[in-house]
Amino acid sequence: MDARTRILNRVRRALEGRPKALLPEHPHSPFPEDPIPLLLARLAENGAEPHLLSPEGAQALLRELAQGLPGVAFGQGVPTPFREGLNPLPPEEAPLGVSWALFAVAETGTLALSSADGRRAQLLPPTHLVLVERERVYPTLLQAFQDLKELPSALGLHSGPSKSADIGQVMVKGVHGPGRLIVAVLT
Amino acid sequence: MRAKAKLYPKEAARLLREKPGVREAVTGATLHFDRNRLKAYAEVPIAEWRERAKAVKDHALSHLDQYLELAEKRLKENGVQVHYAEEPEDAHRLLREIVERRGVKRAVKAKSMLTEELGVNPLLASLGVEVYETDLGEYLIQLLGEPPSHIVGPAIHLSLKEIQTLFHERFGTPLDASPEALAQVARKVLREAFLTAELGISGANFLVAETGTLALMENEGNIRLSTSLPKVHVAFVGIEKLLPRFQDLALFLPLTARAATGQRLSTFVSLIQGPARKGEEGPEEVHVVLVDHGRTALLADPEAWETLRCLRCGACLNACPVYRQTGGHPYGYVYSGPIGAVLDPGLLSLEEAYPLPYASTLCGACLEACPVKIPIPKLLLTWRHRAVAEGLSPAWERAMLAAYRRVMESPALYRLFSKALRGLPLPQDLLPLLRAWTEGRGPLKPSPKPFHQLWREMEEGHGR
Ligand code: SF4
Repeated sequence: MDARTRILNRVRRALEGRPKALLPEHPHSPFPEDPIPLLLARLAENGAEPHLLSPEGAQALLRELAQGLPGVAFGQGVPTPFREGLNPLPPEEAPLGVSWALFAVAETGTLALSSADGRRAQLLPPTHLVLVERERVYPTLLQAFQDLKELPSALGLHSGPSKSADIGQVMVKGVHGPGRLIVAVLT
Repeated sequence: MRAKAKLYPKEAARLLREKPGVREAVTGATLHFDRNRLKAYAEVPIAEWRERAKAVKDHALSHLDQYLELAEKRLKENGVQVHYAEEPEDAHRLLREIVERRGVKRAVKAKSMLTEELGVNPLLASLGVEVYETDLGEYLIQLLGEPPSHIVGPAIHLSLKEIQTLFHERFGTPLDASPEALAQVARKVLREAFLTAELGISGANFLVAETGTLALMENEGNIRLSTSLPKVHVAFVGIEKLLPRFQDLALFLPLTARAATGQRLSTFVSLIQGPARKGEEGPEEVHVVLVDHGRTALLADPEAWETLRCLRCGACLNACPVYRQTGGHPYGYVYSGPIGAVLDPGLLSLEEAYPLPYASTLCGACLEACPVKIPIPKLLLTWRHRAVAEGLSPAWERAMLAAYRRVMESPALYRLFSKALRGLPLPQDLLPLLRAWTEGRGPLKPSPKPFHQLWREMEEGHGR
């Protein structure tokens, strides 16, 4: 007998005669208000820098951020107009990473990033700009998950800059991941 | 990890005597966590959240065989290699195989209490692999060669000064370097490790049966990096970590974050389905090791099985007035504080851990804090009853109770003792046990007459 069989047998024996607990339904979370203001507020509370911008406005913001930098690392899904005039760099070297989010969640101030967009550009540069379309903003995590048709090999939920209080209980930003998270919600 | 839980009372006393700074550091950090938790709980219908979370976990545990089989099926469909481990040796065998086959020289590790249980670090070191703990707190205690002292904040027992000294000795940073500067030094060392390691090792907060999704929560980004950069990712998952449905994460991720740190969601969550797909960045191999190591024995326990609901959020540690005095080290095993006191006797044996259920005042703060309503105070009493039944209770307790019983059973002896006690002067300094009590309060003044006499006099007064 292998470990798997032995473990499963022990589990079954342990559960013999144990009452079976029911699985509760998911709650309904009515959330009538416009999620955008809440998303922006929660992101700010999480230490991120949120903006509500037109695509052109976001491109201008990106060019401003990239000014004086040797280049930028792009996620796969970032549309061409955002790349124009900027020098693409591998994420290991880039001081700025730009990603295209799968969706955002207002109640927690969260951006969801797919591995299909790449992973290194989301994690290695010290500053991370995330672009998300207004229509992709969900009020709640539950609504976002209910709507999710397909799961990428890794889905990263980012809700602020990397931080730690492990050194003497003092909050430090940018420990491993990006210490600056800038978000542009595109109108 | 070798357990030294039996030594708890001695170790706790020694720590308080020899490292008084620990109490200050731990009390400060846990009070901070606890205040944040309370604020975060107050923001949502927490009673309903906790009830629901308990129900989902109870359901998953009472159907654990089915969910394990479903999870295994889904994981395999996702291209994940699934293994089962009953004992640390099973995990070691798998790691040895991977290290040899992939020529692993470096491994980056995301914080995981389960890998502490399994002794993953010493095993890898014995294979000549350089292991880097990448959670900042975990990295600090790795440099010091200490075990974690808290489930969520493994280095909360260290003061800034101690860390400054440590970095001064290891990296030559100035003795007054700021936390930012120290974090930058660690970032540099660990970034190099992330970029060169062949193996990433993690635990998991949850494993979703329906989709085969591993869910991991953190604030630094080191877990995302550990599970994204190396070509091989091995996740060790206790069999109690299963959730039925992907959507259950919409409850459990925020609930755990609120309980652990008072956040609405941890800064980074990794939801991992499997190895990188064609043309993607990410690991080529993902292994999930489903670990028993005492869990099926706990599941069979008619009372203590409830500890398997635990989310390892650490809220009960932060709420515990006993844990706050010493932090986790004196408990002598991976899990400390209230949850450790009820989990360790089950995972190890009562014989090995019997002092831990006594490390509590039974104040009930842990139950109030627990996001999945584990009846810790009740279980502490269960383990104490069992310890007494097995003759493991402390000798002083047995002697005191025997004496108490003799006195209480004999009215003559009782009267004699109560008289003697009332007549006794109470020199505060001679009663060190009472000193903490009398510091903030007036001295204890015994009544000149015993209660039954006062009662009689009162009754007579009424009768008149
Ligand atoms: S027992 Fe409850 S409060 Fe303690 S760590 Fe586990 S889930 Fe958190």
